[in-house]
Amino acid sequence: MTRQLAPHPSTKPTKPGPAATPRRRRWTQRTRRDFFVFLALALPNLVLIAVFTYRPLISNIYYSTLDWTLGSPSATVVGINNYVTFFTSDDASKVLGTTAIFTVVTVGGSMILGLLIALALNAKVRGTTFARSAVFAPYVLSGVGVGLVWLFIFDPGYGVLAWLLRGIGQQSPQWINDPQLSLVMVILVYVWKNLGYCAVVYLAGLQSLPQDVMEAASLDGANGFRRFITMSLPLLSPTTFFLLITSLLSSLQAFDLIRIMTPLGTGTSTLIYEAYLQAFGAFNRAGYSAAISVILFAILLVITVFQLRFVERKVHYS
Amino acid sequence: MTQHLDRRHFLGLAGVTASAAALAACGGPSTSGTPVASEAAELDFSGVKPAAKIDFWSNHPGKSQDVEKAIIEKFHAKFPDIRVNLVTAGANYEEIAQKFQTSQAAKSGLPGVVVLSDVWWFRYFTNGSIIPVDALVKQLDIKLDDFRKSLVDDYKYNDKQWALPYGRSTPLFYYNKDHFQAAGLPDRAPKTWQEFGEWAPKLKASSGAQYAYIYPALAGYAGWTLQNNLWGWGGSWSKEWEITCDSPEAIEALQWAQDSIYKNGWAGVSSKEAADDFSAGLTSSTISSTGSLLGVLKSAPFNVGVGFLPGGPKAETNVCPTGGAGLGIPSGITKEEQLAAGTFLKFMTEPENSAAFSAATGYMPTRESADMEAVLAQTPQIQTAVDQLAVTRVQDNARVFLPGADQELAKAAAAILTQQADVKATMTSLKKTLEGIYEKDVKPKLG
Repeated sequence: MTRQLAPHPSTKPTKPGPAATPRRRRWTQRTRRDFFVFLALALPNLVLIAVFTYRPLISNIYYSTLDWTLGSPSATVVGINNYVTFFTSDDASKVLGTTAIFTVVTVGGSMILGLLIALALNAKVRGTTFARSAVFAPYVLSGVGVGLVWLFIFDPGYGVLAWLLRGIGQQSPQWINDPQLSLVMVILVYVWKNLGYCAVVYLAGLQSLPQDVMEAASLDGANGFRRFITMSLPLLSPTTFFLLITSLLSSLQAFDLIRIMTPLGTGTSTLIYEAYLQAFGAFNRAGYSAAISVILFAILLVITVFQLRFVERKVHYS
Repeated sequence: MTQHLDRRHFLGLAGVTASAAALAACGGPSTSGTPVASEAAELDFSGVKPAAKIDFWSNHPGKSQDVEKAIIEKFHAKFPDIRVNLVTAGANYEEIAQKFQTSQAAKSGLPGVVVLSDVWWFRYFTNGSIIPVDALVKQLDIKLDDFRKSLVDDYKYNDKQWALPYGRSTPLFYYNKDHFQAAGLPDRAPKTWQEFGEWAPKLKASSGAQYAYIYPALAGYAGWTLQNNLWGWGGSWSKEWEITCDSPEAIEALQWAQDSIYKNGWAGVSSKEAADDFSAGLTSSTISSTGSLLGVLKSAPFNVGVGFLPGGPKAETNVCPTGGAGLGIPSGITKEEQLAAGTFLKFMTEPENSAAFSAATGYMPTRESADMEAVLAQTPQIQTAVDQLAVTRVQDNARVFLPGADQELAKAAAAILTQQADVKATMTSLKKTLEGIYEKDVKPKLG
């Protein structure tokens, strides 16, 4: 990586002559009119974004410097103490670890399974229209409804899964009470719910691949697997890049399934859920919760910037 | 690209920073004082005219929405100048607390009367979110001495009354009479857990149910019902503000519970709602709230028996915690609204309304003079809950007064009962957590 450096003051060019002076833009009637049109169209949205996105963001950063019990009219300024408390607590490694496992497995699982399903749906066989709808349907369902239904399926007492396991002489695992299995349960449901989105986006990508190139490779003797690895996958990189960004952001902000399936967050407390639990679930530590939210924001920002700056370089757009 | 910070950019940046700070400082808490508990200053409502309209926030404990509506209609007939708007403010005590605390933070939209559970009212007190009701009790002539003493005393602190009992419960021992009969057991709840330990293998062998006993769901209120086990063995979560969950007695009690699952194999842990597991025939017995009584009687396709919670090796009599919810009045509303709320609070807890609420839900009548004859004729099992009040104990401070402690107790119980974690190590770690909560979130506010 090279960094563009500012010219040293001593090497600054001497004052340019009149010919080098940039022409000042004239504020013509037309540009003035365009500017007002721009303001009329953009200003309401900019005001809304400022009030409902940036103001809460700034407020949240401010709250993260307070020792504030939610509901209390007063608070104490503690500077960065909430951040220090989080990073030096036993919970930090648990929460960050759970967040990492949940994010990597759900994003990886949704994308890999989504791609495999897209390959299957791309085949010219009967019933693919129905199959596409069936695969995409869970994505548009409410997370709350999905969570409740899957809780019944996983219930070790009278759930469908327990009934099936009893049929083969096995006891159901404690999906809901065991923290490790709770995380597995929530991940499975999250992947099931979201892989339809990845499948449909990948399917669109597969259908837009240049057929002449694929046919040429076929004529050159490349088999299906080789065509997929050397042709399809690189050509799908814009789709993969898009899915990686959207899935990562969505996974790091997953809330509804965790809230419904494991209300105490035992074993499933990701950063966003920990922020919720700290402020609203139990402790009412609003300042501490705000600090966790800021940490999550920073992580999301770093991931997005990293992806845009470095991962995108690997993407082939043509 | 590099950019030099000239005067214009500096001023621009300073302006943005100042605006951001100003924006951020709008709303939110004051940072000029130290947070303290509710001031117990005398309130005076003389000369105040009640407000014309208040909201009543409820989670309808025990599926009580219909009976709450009916009582409100009666209130409107008696007090036509005060309208009460019933608001479903959550599905459980925790959700209603979230909404209430968020409204406190927003300083708007507060109700006149709010349902507050045993683990939440003290937090509202320490935050200064509720008023003491003593002045209203005096002015409106609310007969405090007619309330059941153990229930009304739960809301006393610093010689002030901070709420009145409403949907109050105790846990009950529910058992499948048919299973007990098939196992040749007496038709009653066990007197002690040791006695049940002798019954359980017979029950499991003859009933065909998956478990002889199922522990209540940990995500519910595990810390509440496990107090019965701890007290039976002579232990507790805490004594006053001293955390005692790692005492030998507490460890022995929880070890016995763990053994009932892993060593003896006759007990399990409910995943969602123990009362539903019991009604579905998954287990021969369980412990659940009196608030589940009518639901269980309606849905169970077998003969249901209820009894006192068992005692233990150190408690010869039965031992039982009280629980459930009361009604409080927020501090952040006008005196007119507080007076209207007090008028409604008095009406809601009148003996006849207490009896009607009890009949509809199974919760205990909170008034001594409530005429329960018709209710008991219809549901005689409610009498067991009322009689059990004689052996109830005030709950441990650690469970009801420490913010978030109930969740920490549930996590510790989950480790012991579902992952077979070492009991002593888990309790030692829990003690450290609970002491941290007390030092950070409670002690500074008690002054």
